[in-house]
Amino acid sequence: MAKILEGPAMKLFNKWGIPVPNYVVIMDPDRLAQLGEANKWLRESKLVVKAHEAIGGRFKLGLVKIGLNLEEAIEASRQMIGAKIGTAEVGQVIVAEMLEHDAEFYVSIIGNRDGAELLISKHGGVDIEDNWDSVRRIQIPLDENPTIEQLTELALNAGFEGEIAERVGKICSRLILCFDNEDAQSIEINPLVIRKSDMRFAALDAVMNVDWDARFRHADWDFKPVSEIGRPFTEAEQQIMDIDSRIKGSVKFVEVPGGEVALLTAGGGASVFYADAVVARGGTIANYAEYSGDPADWAVEALTETICRLPNIKHIIVGGAIANFTDVKATFSGIINGFRESKSKGYLEGVKIWVRRGGPNEAQGLAAIRKLQEEGFDIHVYDRSMPMTDIVDMALKS
Amino acid sequence: MSILANKDTRAVIIGGVAGVNAAKRMAQFDFLVNRPLTVQAFVYPPEAGQQKEIFRGGELKNVTVYDSLAPALEEHPEINTALIYLGASRAAQAAKEALESPNIQLVSMITEGVPEKDAKRLKKLAQKHGKMLNGPSSIGIMSAGECRLGVIGGEFKNLKLCNLYRPGSFGVLTKSGGLSNEAMWLCAQNGNGITSAVAIGGDAYPGTDFVTYLEMFEQDPDTKAVVMIGEVGGSLEEEAAEWLAAQPRRIKLIAAIGGTCQEVLPQGMKFGHAGAKEGKKGAGSARSKMNALRDAGAYVPDTFGGLSKEIKKVYEELIAAGDIKPEAEIDEAVLPELPPRVQEVMKQGEVVVEPLIRTTISDDRGEEPRYAGYAASELCSKGYGIEDVISLLWNKKLPTREESEIIKRIIMISADHGPAVSGAFGSIIAACAGIDMPQAVSAGMTMIGPRFGGAVTNAGKYFKMAVNDYPNDIPGFLAWMKKNVGPVPGIGHRVKSLKNPDQRVKYLVSYIKNETSLHTPCLDYALEVEKVTTAKKDNLILNVDGTIGCILMDLDYPVHSLNGFFVLARTIGMIGHWIDQNNQNSRLIRLYDYLINYAVKPEQPVPDKK
Repeated sequence: MAKILEGPAMKLFNKWGIPVPNYVVIMDPDRLAQLGEANKWLRESKLVVKAHEAIGGRFKLGLVKIGLNLEEAIEASRQMIGAKIGTAEVGQVIVAEMLEHDAEFYVSIIGNRDGAELLISKHGGVDIEDNWDSVRRIQIPLDENPTIEQLTELALNAGFEGEIAERVGKICSRLILCFDNEDAQSIEINPLVIRKSDMRFAALDAVMNVDWDARFRHADWDFKPVSEIGRPFTEAEQQIMDIDSRIKGSVKFVEVPGGEVALLTAGGGASVFYADAVVARGGTIANYAEYSGDPADWAVEALTETICRLPNIKHIIVGGAIANFTDVKATFSGIINGFRESKSKGYLEGVKIWVRRGGPNEAQGLAAIRKLQEEGFDIHVYDRSMPMTDIVDMALKS
Repeated sequence: MSILANKDTRAVIIGGVAGVNAAKRMAQFDFLVNRPLTVQAFVYPPEAGQQKEIFRGGELKNVTVYDSLAPALEEHPEINTALIYLGASRAAQAAKEALESPNIQLVSMITEGVPEKDAKRLKKLAQKHGKMLNGPSSIGIMSAGECRLGVIGGEFKNLKLCNLYRPGSFGVLTKSGGLSNEAMWLCAQNGNGITSAVAIGGDAYPGTDFVTYLEMFEQDPDTKAVVMIGEVGGSLEEEAAEWLAAQPRRIKLIAAIGGTCQEVLPQGMKFGHAGAKEGKKGAGSARSKMNALRDAGAYVPDTFGGLSKEIKKVYEELIAAGDIKPEAEIDEAVLPELPPRVQEVMKQGEVVVEPLIRTTISDDRGEEPRYAGYAASELCSKGYGIEDVISLLWNKKLPTREESEIIKRIIMISADHGPAVSGAFGSIIAACAGIDMPQAVSAGMTMIGPRFGGAVTNAGKYFKMAVNDYPNDIPGFLAWMKKNVGPVPGIGHRVKSLKNPDQRVKYLVSYIKNETSLHTPCLDYALEVEKVTTAKKDNLILNVDGTIGCILMDLDYPVHSLNGFFVLARTIGMIGHWIDQNNQNSRLIRLYDYLINYAVKPEQPVPDKK
């Protein structure tokens, strides 16, 4: 799953003939002035300026400004670029034409097990939530795209009339092509607007998710997926992602500010149960982390050091199920090195470490990590006979 | 009994090294339950034609690698299962081919990161052909006592700990691979073990859903209950609940669902599995799945920690109802042990192996090489030089400073003798022919022999003999040499003579005599011999080979090592010549006709062959 920013989404729409407003993405407000000299639409249309970043609730944060002329747009860009929102900094803005329009529609397409489902409604924009009954849907079986006639029929059912229904049908057809060919997982256009005077349509706002696993067959994907957690990734998260992309197996890390229990857990399934166990016992997690697929020891070491640096943590849960092929001895040697390194740098003061793990070479791995007790670590080590998530209970009771 | 994989399962593994590793683990299971090898063939074009060595216990089996699926299936018509171990960009195509092959009924994919569209297409294809597709992202399928597909179950010891050598009464269904193993362990600890365990993979669109497998377990009389471990995202768990509620079911369902923590975490936060993502308005949340399953009559603990208790409870109910008859536990001592590797047995002192070679000079089994016991880095840090290392490796002794200074001079003096001599010339000709350094240097090296540089050993040997056997009797020694050997090695030079002495010899002799305290019986004897021989002929001087040979004997070097000094020293020169010729980009050398005397027969016709 990979959410992409509006700019790249617009580019893909354009590629597949889905109408978009004129837009530019800029990092330097002066560039907008230059673009204004070259582009009539920037001088003559009302403009909208939006922070082109993965920041949730942009409107409330003042990172969306509407109804501007070019001068005002340049000024708005100047204010937004470089603005700091928490750990995030606005690096670029998207400036688009605010198409004067007569109506706002809703179109979306979402993948499902058997293909995808297309949804349309005459009531787009902020009204869609209240008018969900007006949505008409069509299931698109895998590799069996509906005809334009079928889509026009759908539009008619949704209350579109005449030429507008035909045009909506055509746009839907192109949207399906885009969805299918770009390995998209979901596309939501809200609103799709129309200016009736010249029958001009445009997708004014769009959210698009693509299947990042399919990137090997998309030479023109020049974008990176953006964070889906309502904020950009932190530096530590980026670092672990970089490591993840280079190794066999995987390491994952997401920070949850304010938590007291850090997770250094193995396995995509088990790690979630560990997080659940912390929450169920009234604890707060400081992060979500996971390593699996027998990753290199240095990658696990880097993950360990990252976790040790989390502020104000009281416990670290080194948990995992009984591994099938992840070598416990090898991955634990990375964890042990990470703990030692962190301690020498002054981290882990007053932090309790709780270990439970099984799998290949479990006896050697557990014996090795148990030795940290002799080096002054507050570490509690258990083998497979300890139920998997019970170390969380013990940590939170201690 | 079991589902999906059983005693008749025979598999082809499509993929490279990860597939071979899986085959090795599978063969361990085959050995444990005493069944024939499950993996009959590999398909991996880059290694087509190779045979992979797979141990089934102590028995070494060779499994062929094919370049495509068709010939593998033709030669192994018994294969009914394909395991995909390829990377994401090629896995879908391989799975498609496997699903389209008539003999193959089950395809299981371990590949992670298969694009969703490909996974959906494969699922559709499997349905069209009436085949089973498990995965992608599946660790595999385990049927206790019958068959293991993939690395599910982990290492050999764990197979026993989880009672996987004999069937139990619990089915296991998980998305996660690690939790499939954990669940098998829980079933062994709190119940009587498993019938089959299936990891369906954590992707958004798995090839086969929980309901399909639940239905198969329902049809398997030995399975009395199923442990299902699901998680937030998708609707497979809700569908399982619907299935359970739809009509009375023979099997009991115990389910744990991961992802309740999402209620308090930032929205959209990503979990380990691709499919673990909550939909809009709480659809697919862990909580809604747990509720649906509970309403349908499943046993659903609040947390994973409660799973053991539920399994135990269900197991006891099944025993009380007479559905499971407790069987006597198998004594694990009767189960086979994997034959240990030679190294392990040797460590325990239970086997004697005649060594193939013996060494007395060096050992690199520790953290760094040791020469005659001394660590290389420590020699460096304490200021020793290459001449000391030569002593250690050739003579197993750390020399005195005086001795090592002599060795150093011997090497320096012998390092090169210009391009014209046989050795250097040989290397130069090779270098000019474009030959790489090691071979070009060995071309020069092959010249070292009785007429070129190879006299050091013999000179040392005979002068040493003379000192012992003919003290003060040079005529006797020379007579013996004449009778038994011929010219005295180390005596005589092509161009040098008494009037035109070899400066190297002069220097070495004077250095030894004047600047060291070395006791030199051999050298002294040789210098006496030289007086006698030069009286006969001017150029029968003690040459550099003879000088070095005598000095080395006086230094107490083993006689076999003596030529080594010339070989080592000249290697430095030959490498230099090779580098020099290559730097100049020298052209191929061909002798001019005028440098050759063609003493051959005149031209003549070839007679007809009889």
